Amino acid sequence: MSEQVSRRDFLKLAGLGAATTAVLTGCGPASRYVVREPYQQMPEYNLVGQSTYYATTCRECAAGCGLVVRTYQGRAIKVEGNPNHPLNLGKTCARGQATLHGLYNPDRVTDPIMKNARGGFAGTNINWDDAVQAVADALKNNQPNEIAFLIGTASDHVFDLLTDLAKTTGVNAPIRFGAMNMLESRATLSKAAENLFGQAGMPWFDVANAQTVFSFGANFLETWLSPLSYTRGFANFRKATTTKLRGQMVQFEARMSATGAKADEWVSLRPGTEALVALAIGRLVAEKKGIAVPRIFSGVEPLEVAAQAGVKLEALEHLAERFASTNSVAIPGGPALGQSNGLAVAEAVLALNALVNNFGKEGGVYLSALAPNQSEYHRPASAQEMQAFVERMKSGGIKVLFVHGVNPVFETPNSLGFKEALSNVGQVISFAVFPDETALEADYVLPDHHGLEGWGYQRVGTGVSLPVLSGAQPVVSPYYNTRSTVDVFIAAAKLAGGKFANALPYADEVEFLQNKISALRGEAGGSFSAIDDETFMATFQQFGGWWKNTNALLAPDSASVLNQSIKTQVKDAEFAGEGEFFFVPFVSPTLGEAGANKPWLQELPDPTTTVMWTTWIEINPETAHHLHVENDEVVKVISEAGEIEVPVYIYPAIRPDTVAIPFGQGHTAYGRYAENRGVNPFDLLGKHFNEAGDLAFAGMKVRIEKTGKTQPVSRNESRMGVYGEDLGEEH
Amino acid sequence: MTTLADLKISEVKLAAEEGGKWGMVIDQDICTGCQACVAACAMENNIPFVGEEDSGYGRAMHWIRIERFWQGEYPEVKMTNQQPMMCQQCGSAPCEPVCPAFATVHSQAEELNLQVYNRCVGTRYCANNCPYQVRTFNWRDYERPEPLPNQFNPDVTVRRRGVMEKCTFCIQRIHQANHKAKAEGRELMDGEFTTACAQACPSNAITFGRVDKKDTQVYQMMHHGQSHGKKHLEELGTLPNITYLNGGGA
Repeated sequence: MSEQVSRRDFLKLAGLGAATTAVLTGCGPASRYVVREPYQQMPEYNLVGQSTYYATTCRECAAGCGLVVRTYQGRAIKVEGNPNHPLNLGKTCARGQATLHGLYNPDRVTDPIMKNARGGFAGTNINWDDAVQAVADALKNNQPNEIAFLIGTASDHVFDLLTDLAKTTGVNAPIRFGAMNMLESRATLSKAAENLFGQAGMPWFDVANAQTVFSFGANFLETWLSPLSYTRGFANFRKATTTKLRGQMVQFEARMSATGAKADEWVSLRPGTEALVALAIGRLVAEKKGIAVPRIFSGVEPLEVAAQAGVKLEALEHLAERFASTNSVAIPGGPALGQSNGLAVAEAVLALNALVNNFGKEGGVYLSALAPNQSEYHRPASAQEMQAFVERMKSGGIKVLFVHGVNPVFETPNSLGFKEALSNVGQVISFAVFPDETALEADYVLPDHHGLEGWGYQRVGTGVSLPVLSGAQPVVSPYYNTRSTVDVFIAAAKLAGGKFANALPYADEVEFLQNKISALRGEAGGSFSAIDDETFMATFQQFGGWWKNTNALLAPDSASVLNQSIKTQVKDAEFAGEGEFFFVPFVSPTLGEAGANKPWLQELPDPTTTVMWTTWIEINPETAHHLHVENDEVVKVISEAGEIEVPVYIYPAIRPDTVAIPFGQGHTAYGRYAENRGVNPFDLLGKHFNEAGDLAFAGMKVRIEKTGKTQPVSRNESRMGVYGEDLGEEH
Repeated sequence: MTTLADLKISEVKLAAEEGGKWGMVIDQDICTGCQACVAACAMENNIPFVGEEDSGYGRAMHWIRIERFWQGEYPEVKMTNQQPMMCQQCGSAPCEPVCPAFATVHSQAEELNLQVYNRCVGTRYCANNCPYQVRTFNWRDYERPEPLPNQFNPDVTVRRRGVMEKCTFCIQRIHQANHKAKAEGRELMDGEFTTACAQACPSNAITFGRVDKKDTQVYQMMHHGQSHGKKHLEELGTLPNITYLNGGGA
């Protein structure tokens, strides 16, 4: 522990009450690991009866929100947002709150395992020396181009380490992937920016300062890109002040999302017509403003579009008036982008912003700032790039696959064939914290620490105007016999020797991080500075990161947006399969892609349906009537790619020609709370992509058959409405 | 002629002017229904999860829930503004007089409705008499397998089967802040601490604080633009301490 504060001094400070609210760094500059000790020898920072607070970074998604975790006698008690963190300003989402149910989950991988066979967890617990040796052998005994890393999006320090390794040793650069990113269609957004502005990047929409928001399917109040930042923006947008009116929001989608539920106007569109509608609105706006219709909007006929989309022409005109008259912003996202013409949707909706000239202006569209230690925009792999990787595995081109922070067997549709392709990979080494579906198919499971037990950092990719590097440190000592994956790679590289040892010349993870982070010390205009690297590192941990104090949002080059023509197919989207219903899979707002093993997340009611603990299919009441199905009746949903059985929830806010199923459940492994619960709508998705390479996940048609079975769906709503006559009708 | 109802309303007005000590304002217009408050409350207050079957029977133990109602039919369908609902900490609480064990009592110090777990014998009269339906009952000893109990908040009692429970306005946080203020020889300041739900709320829709002082944020919000502010079922004379705002929305 630190030499600078003696126990006696610390007690004095604590007695004054000063230490009880201070956020501490997990280490003095000299100490590296938090140690759990018996009560008789409490570590200096842990005082009986007093809580200790540590700043770290949330790893439940890739957004990079800052946390302050309350610990008490070596245990993590409560997660709060870090009030100083520029991204989330002290706030947390439900998944961030429940991260403790991951840390203390009864079904974690407790020891490194060498498995007897793939497909089960039976195997031998090995010691870490043997585990490191196995990794070293895998690195050494294979050709560099036959070694691949597949990692998640919430672990930038792991990505940087493996990128360093790849640069000098010739192993494949790490591939990053996550189902959430796939359903956010990040490649599409970035490609649209590139086509329109000549610069790839993640668009950021300044909802807070807009007066009118037109959202084409974007679920920005749920899980989209950076939900806490967008939610804060929404709150400011909604509040009337002395200088601005209450913001007005219009949502265009086929199934009312939790975001759409907050809209002042909800416009139901036939799926696939979003691009046409955006262009038609653009044309009407131009006409209303009395300017020549720009080239990009000139190809559409509003009357025809209205008929195709299933809305009235007057409605489009009224929307155009609304958009033209105030400080507006248009946001593309969600299922609208996950269609065969998703790129056209993104371009058409982004182009609407050019009509109100809001690029790079308050309440308008920006490109997100790059993080402090980032030189160019980087996005996770698109589904098509994953497909190419699967093909490479299938052809035997990959001999060793390392998987960290992602569960691709669950997070990719079966039709991509990831699981089958693994059988052509000689060795699969998983670093999973939980016994997930991919770990099930691995030869070794070498568990990493839980996010709250480990070091790291995360670049904040979008959601804040400042460049932010968010820092993570252990808030408790590791509960099980786990080891940091970075430490495993550093040790294994040393054992492998030669170029591997040269690529990672660090004693351990902390030295690696110090090396990466201290590069920022010389930079001016940061949130803090320090006299030496060690103090810089300690302060970095104490504040939960380092950020610059100046706005670094990029103003997109909008000069030629209106004169372009949309390069891809604008026409009606194509839908795969023969069924009569459009199929909309959406991310469960409470579970996300990896929340199903946390029991309190399971017991959170879905914001729109109030359903808990299972999967359901949303069907319009009229359609249910025609199909003769009732609530809780199990139906078989059939697409060209597969079929699943799922109970019905009659949902009043969905088109009669559309059905929707949330993504998040349907695990076959992943611990007792997730396993064999609900179904995975990915089983219905075929191998179709949009022009940017993202999965056309909303481009399927399905049919529905009765099964005669029922499954009571747990929902929270039956308790409501007892005295609610003046609050609306209970459904 | 003065009816009984008139009499009650005049009494209510009189009592309302006295006010409680702690209050909350919830802006339904910016609540997104994200459930962060529900999760934060569960984590702070050691609330058990009950599992799929029991939650299907309505036995889920949420101390705070987010209500939403539907209006109209497709395509003119609308969801009403999300309505976080929890114990309203009534000044004149219907749950209190019906408890035979004095487990549901009004505290003099904090002016809140207390639930004394070790007095509760599980008659559930209080829950039946609560017009807000915010009390939850431990129908079982719900299992929390090791090592989940590591996460328990040591400041909050872990309840057993047969005990009624409900939102406490995070009374452990009130006490802690009070102790600190007392030790430092000063008065407790508004904004020094907040409840778990308000602390987590991503849209800042929940504001908690002292309502017995006029310069607090929560007092200002309660009394500013009173036409929008609403206390639920106030007409029952419960003197609820939570005010709901609806902005310009539905």
